[in-house]
Amino acid sequence: MSKTLQHESTQKVLQHENMQVVLKFLKENGTLVALVVLMLIFSFSDESFFTPRNLTNLARQTTITGIIAVGMTMVILINGIDLSVGSIVGLSAISVTLMMQAGLNMWLAIPLTLILVGGGIGLWNGFWIAHYKIPPFIITLGMMTIARGLALTFSGGGSVPVMAPGFRQIGGAFLPKSISIIIILAALVFFFYSLYRSIQEKKKYGIEVQKQEIMTSAVIAVVGLLLAMWVFGSYRGIPNPVVIFVVIVFAGSFVLRNTKFGRRLYAMGGNEEAARLSGINIYRTSLIVFCTVTVLSALAGILLASRLNGASPNLGNMFELDAISAVIIGGTSFAGGIGTITGTVIGAFIIGILNNGMSLLGVPMFYQFIVRGLIIILAVWFDVLTKKKKG
Amino acid sequence: MSEIVLEMKNIIKDFPGVRALNNVNFEARSGELLALVGENGAGKSTLMKVLSGVWPYPTYEGDIYIKGQLKRFRNTKEAEASGVAIIYQELNLIPELTVAENIFLDRQFTTSYGTINWSQVNAETQKLLDDLHIRGFKPTDKIKELTVGKQQMVEIAKALSKQAEILVFDEPTSALTDKEVEALFKIIRKLKKQGVCMSYISHKMEELEQIAERVIVLRDGQTIGDVTPMAELTLDKIISRMVGRDIKDMFPKQDFQRGEKTLEVKNFEVDHPDLPGEKKVKNASFCAYKGEILGISGLMGSGRTELVTGIFGAFPKTSRGEVYLQGQSVNIKSPADAIKQGIGYTSGPPLKFESPQEAINHGFGLVTEDRKAVGLILGQSVLQNMTISSLETVANRWGVINKAKERSLANEYVDKLSIKTPGLDVAIDTLSGGNQQKVIVAKWLNTKPKVLILDEPTRGIDVGAKVEIYNLLNQLVEEGVTVIIISSELPEVMGMSDRILVMCEGEIVAELSHKAAKKELIMEYATGSRKKEA
Repeated sequence: MSKTLQHESTQKVLQHENMQVVLKFLKENGTLVALVVLMLIFSFSDESFFTPRNLTNLARQTTITGIIAVGMTMVILINGIDLSVGSIVGLSAISVTLMMQAGLNMWLAIPLTLILVGGGIGLWNGFWIAHYKIPPFIITLGMMTIARGLALTFSGGGSVPVMAPGFRQIGGAFLPKSISIIIILAALVFFFYSLYRSIQEKKKYGIEVQKQEIMTSAVIAVVGLLLAMWVFGSYRGIPNPVVIFVVIVFAGSFVLRNTKFGRRLYAMGGNEEAARLSGINIYRTSLIVFCTVTVLSALAGILLASRLNGASPNLGNMFELDAISAVIIGGTSFAGGIGTITGTVIGAFIIGILNNGMSLLGVPMFYQFIVRGLIIILAVWFDVLTKKKKG
Repeated sequence: MSEIVLEMKNIIKDFPGVRALNNVNFEARSGELLALVGENGAGKSTLMKVLSGVWPYPTYEGDIYIKGQLKRFRNTKEAEASGVAIIYQELNLIPELTVAENIFLDRQFTTSYGTINWSQVNAETQKLLDDLHIRGFKPTDKIKELTVGKQQMVEIAKALSKQAEILVFDEPTSALTDKEVEALFKIIRKLKKQGVCMSYISHKMEELEQIAERVIVLRDGQTIGDVTPMAELTLDKIISRMVGRDIKDMFPKQDFQRGEKTLEVKNFEVDHPDLPGEKKVKNASFCAYKGEILGISGLMGSGRTELVTGIFGAFPKTSRGEVYLQGQSVNIKSPADAIKQGIGYTSGPPLKFESPQEAINHGFGLVTEDRKAVGLILGQSVLQNMTISSLETVANRWGVINKAKERSLANEYVDKLSIKTPGLDVAIDTLSGGNQQKVIVAKWLNTKPKVLILDEPTRGIDVGAKVEIYNLLNQLVEEGVTVIIISSELPEVMGMSDRILVMCEGEIVAELSHKAAKKELIMEYATGSRKKEA
């Protein structure tokens, strides 16, 4: 009798423990779960959704705002905001196409646009924000109109076609299928190698190795890479912008996780005065961060102009909304100090899937706006909710 | 003898890990002013918060009687309704509104249409000011245009307009000029005639002699002795009630050979952040040596924190002065630093740090006074808090952090300082105050400081952890670090320092050796009742 009771209770404890593990997983990977659920919903409601062709398109669309969102993550991490990114996309697209129209070589026009439009506006924004302590919201709100005005002025209000034939390749072409598959396989190998390395490092310094965490990340990586292999391998290969996006994501993620600079961003966002008194150069750090997001936005503008084979001054309209939403949905706290690039990437894909899926299902544009707005509110509400529980 | 208006009996108030009030007993009478004195941290502010309902019943134990009736306030509104009003150091007025608007905030007179009757509001305010003989401003003046002294008068008028019968002043004169103090005392005398019961928290003994009828001393959360008429107590007796406690075992002071002079500060000044023309630190000069702990004592607001934070480079625009570093090899991080350091070495023009970063590069560390507001990065991990000032020790030249190395370094400090934490990845918030402080000390130790300044290193820390921090200080001195501690707690500063500087109103008024330092003497200097010797 007592034995069966004991048996039952241990079973209960086991069940309870399992529940705990599941709950913990859900709490830590809530956005990832949301992403998978969204994909499942759209796959079942429209058969053209889960096809290599559509998913390739989805990836291409997402990369543009995704690239901006990587920079935006850093800005929001230090308790800032940049509303001018959408206008910068338009201005940079117009600038790069106009320069080429004026006969400038494309490999000159692109870096010039990145430096003049991206770097210039970033320095301007960062200077006002860091030097005069003017709220980033105000400065970048002003820049949002200024940059759009400049784009309209330069283009005379009309669109600018691209003359250089090679320019189209940058944002429009694909890596060949065979190379794509090799790259993805290499990524898989590299992932397991670095996982092994980090475990070895931890063992060397006598740090406990978290088996469950490693398993989770391994499963996610393998599933993700296999999916990528299927999508890109069976359609036209990896689109160029996706390659650029992946490089930027890895670079950004590495900077945030593994460098002094990244640590400083978290410290600044967590408590700016404490960070200053700990010896962090607040001025320089915020300048770099505000430049990063604008340069990335300028890059997004160039890629977009290349993919569309032309630029219009209204390109990038409302991109700031998608970029900020991606960051917030990805779990970055609006109060600063908390957030990851990985989260932002997931957030960007959630928004990409929503836009793509709703269009496939024929949801009218008007409703799409409403849904996107609601998603942002939900994400911030979730942020506030989890914060409260902690405190 | 006049009627007892307020009586507090056996008040006990606990905070996690600390008993802030331990059996407080006193009574205050109508038409009199009761002085409430005690060192910083003795529990005065907590006591006021209990009285005013900020800490509601039953978060404290004990009974509060007002005019013989037991009162258990659940919020500040209830306390206000019973006639309790507190004039805090930090005034609670809205700067953009007028005097009348502030006084009758949310209780304005309305016309028959339900709109606010401004002429009546202003007239009533004027009447109130006239009754108190307050002159020099109009009901329609904006608060932000008034001096702090006048703002305080507005607070008093506001309290009286709510029929306050018990008025508590929390160090009301700390921001006032002599003239304003006089005006305040005039009003206080007038209120006495009207039968208002007042309590007055202050460190300034001269003032208490002028206006207090009776005095009660608070020490370590306890009332010491009974409420005593001012005439029966000498200042010495009050001070000895404030500080008297045996402290031998608390302070494991070790004596080391005093070494070379490492730091010399000359004519350091810090501007007052709010009052143009006024200074928080005036003309401060001092030296610090290897092998000793230099203590800086003084009351809250005496400019101690501003002095060290200014030296640390935190007020580049509002501080001036000369800082000489001697006999040190200094980290040189940039050409600019190298040049400056070169100059600092010789007898040429001195240094002045323009940012905390620069100070750190020259081997300075500062454990800040307010741990939560400007020390810790709350919400982030123990690890991040510990290595934020010295990331270069765990990063390569490209700025890439070797995470495993970082963790093992942090673990070394956890062991060395016996920091009690469930791990390196838990949020710093979850640690106790003592362990949080140890994390901050570890953060600075890893910058290999030459000069470590600790501002209130043991505030809000239990006794056991205090002793551990003291042992750590000894160890640092032994390793050749020049240690400067600031403390409001006299026993601490006396128990641990080789030399003590006493500050009063922004000036260094005395330098006392460990032997010469007596509590009473320091208190006399700190309260300004003994002046600087020329």
